[in-house]
Amino acid sequence: MSTQYSILFKQEHAHEDSIWTAAWGRNEKDGSETIITGSLDDLVKVWKWSDEKLELQWTLEGHQLGIVSVDISHNGAIAASSSLDAHIRLWDLETGKQIKSLDAGPVDSWTVAFSPDSKYIATGSHLGKVNIFGVESGKKEHSLDTRGKFILSIAYSPDGKYLASGAIDGIINIFDIATGKLLHTLEGHAMPIRSLTFSPDSQLLVTASDDGYIKIYDVQHASLAGTLSGHGSWVLSVAFSPDDKHFVSSSSDKSVKVWDTSSRTCINTFFDHQDQVSLRSVDTCLPHLSLLNL
Amino acid sequence: MATFGWKRKVGERVSKATVQQFEQADDDNKVEKEGVDWLHVIKRRREALLEDCSAKSKRLKDEGTLLAEQGRNWEALKRWDEALQLTPDDAELYEMKSQVLIILQEVFLAVQSAEMSTKLRPLWWEAWQTLGRAQLSLGEVELAVRSFQVALHLHPFERPLWEEDLDWALKLRQQKQVLSEREKRQEEARKLLVEAPELKSDYDFESDEVIDACTAMAEKQKKYEDLKKTAVIVETHGAVKEVVVEEDSRPASSSVSDFVKARAM
Repeated sequence: MSTQYSILFKQEHAHEDSIWTAAWGRNEKDGSETIITGSLDDLVKVWKWSDEKLELQWTLEGHQLGIVSVDISHNGAIAASSSLDAHIRLWDLETGKQIKSLDAGPVDSWTVAFSPDSKYIATGSHLGKVNIFGVESGKKEHSLDTRGKFILSIAYSPDGKYLASGAIDGIINIFDIATGKLLHTLEGHAMPIRSLTFSPDSQLLVTASDDGYIKIYDVQHASLAGTLSGHGSWVLSVAFSPDDKHFVSSSSDKSVKVWDTSSRTCINTFFDHQDQVSLRSVDTCLPHLSLLNL
Repeated sequence: MATFGWKRKVGERVSKATVQQFEQADDDNKVEKEGVDWLHVIKRRREALLEDCSAKSKRLKDEGTLLAEQGRNWEALKRWDEALQLTPDDAELYEMKSQVLIILQEVFLAVQSAEMSTKLRPLWWEAWQTLGRAQLSLGEVELAVRSFQVALHLHPFERPLWEEDLDWALKLRQQKQVLSEREKRQEEARKLLVEAPELKSDYDFESDEVIDACTAMAEKQKKYEDLKKTAVIVETHGAVKEVVVEEDSRPASSSVSDFVKARAM
């Protein structure tokens, strides 16, 4: 690999407290790119990414406790955020106004993820259930039961066929969305899985765990395709690049690594953060790899 | 005359430095290889001490734990302080110290100790929980809420953390808000009383205006005293209520007498 990556832009003091979550989205209409960040200071901020600069667009207030997770719908119009007080809020990115507030019940929401058609939001719950809320109705429409433990991470496959969940005890469950059936249960890690993501072609599932390893699974056969080590501490998040060839991982050892999917090797490591990094969609276009400072 | 002798001096052919080095190396080898070296017993012991810092620290830690379990908190602290001399990076020791300091009501030291623990092991949720508890005892409710949030983020499946720590901290935060609001209202009422517009204007003492002004003043005073009499009551399930305390009726009568006095003027 001859490509050299460097930090394109660095935003200092983005929030008053630690940033716990971030998402990157592209608006289908005008192609503009948006980054949203959620922080311990109870705020969600929306930033516009243009001319290789971040510009604060909205500060969204309303959450009572720290923001756990944020996501942007695939058409780039709506953002969802969840906080420790178990409320999920939907925001209109164009106006910066709150569309809805869903009360997921005590301790019943953690990571939020939009379905590829942007009609649903999935969130994991304390009792091992995946609750799916309708964006339009604002109500719980389905519930998938893993019969497992607290679900920390959740991901839809881009083709809309599968939904994967990672639990606190290291178990990965893959559901078929059309039938709502549990397809596979993988005993992937020994420790909590904080993040998982599908490759853009929906063939691979990459998981990140507190045990410091990253695992790659073949979704169709539910077989382990590779185990990657390199991080010195918990792996907090993984995100694929749209070109299918690379993915990025971040860790509490304060580093961010870029991996090559086919050779399963680390091709670059960044040590530019002062505290643990936990970004979900670090990149959508790899040459534009940019990181927010925590 | 050449004399015959068996003895040959060491330094004759080999340089002294080399000999010394050689002998020293030999000594070192011996110490390392042999299990028990009675000749070099002192040297051995020093080495053993260096190696055993962590073991000794662990022994002190366990002793301290036993003492703390028996309620001998100060003695436990002493043990842990000794252990920290040996292993200054032990986050667990700081965390345990903090717990005992909370019991002993040394809250400031407890916060410091817990902060140290979170610095040494930022991913350990229990350190954050203890920090939050120490901050609560210090009265820093906002900071405590933050610490509990960090703990939950690291370890979201700990029920007691949700149900006891965070809930309690949030309740306290709510109470504090109600209290500060009440204080603000009271302060406003007092200001109105002291800097009442009625007091500022000149009155013709023969007219009814004076009586009106006095009535207004008395009413304000009464409002202020009513506010003073309310108490914030927190129910066990966390609902906050403001209740008028009925026990003494003296303030009420005093305001009446004030009113009477003003009239007599």
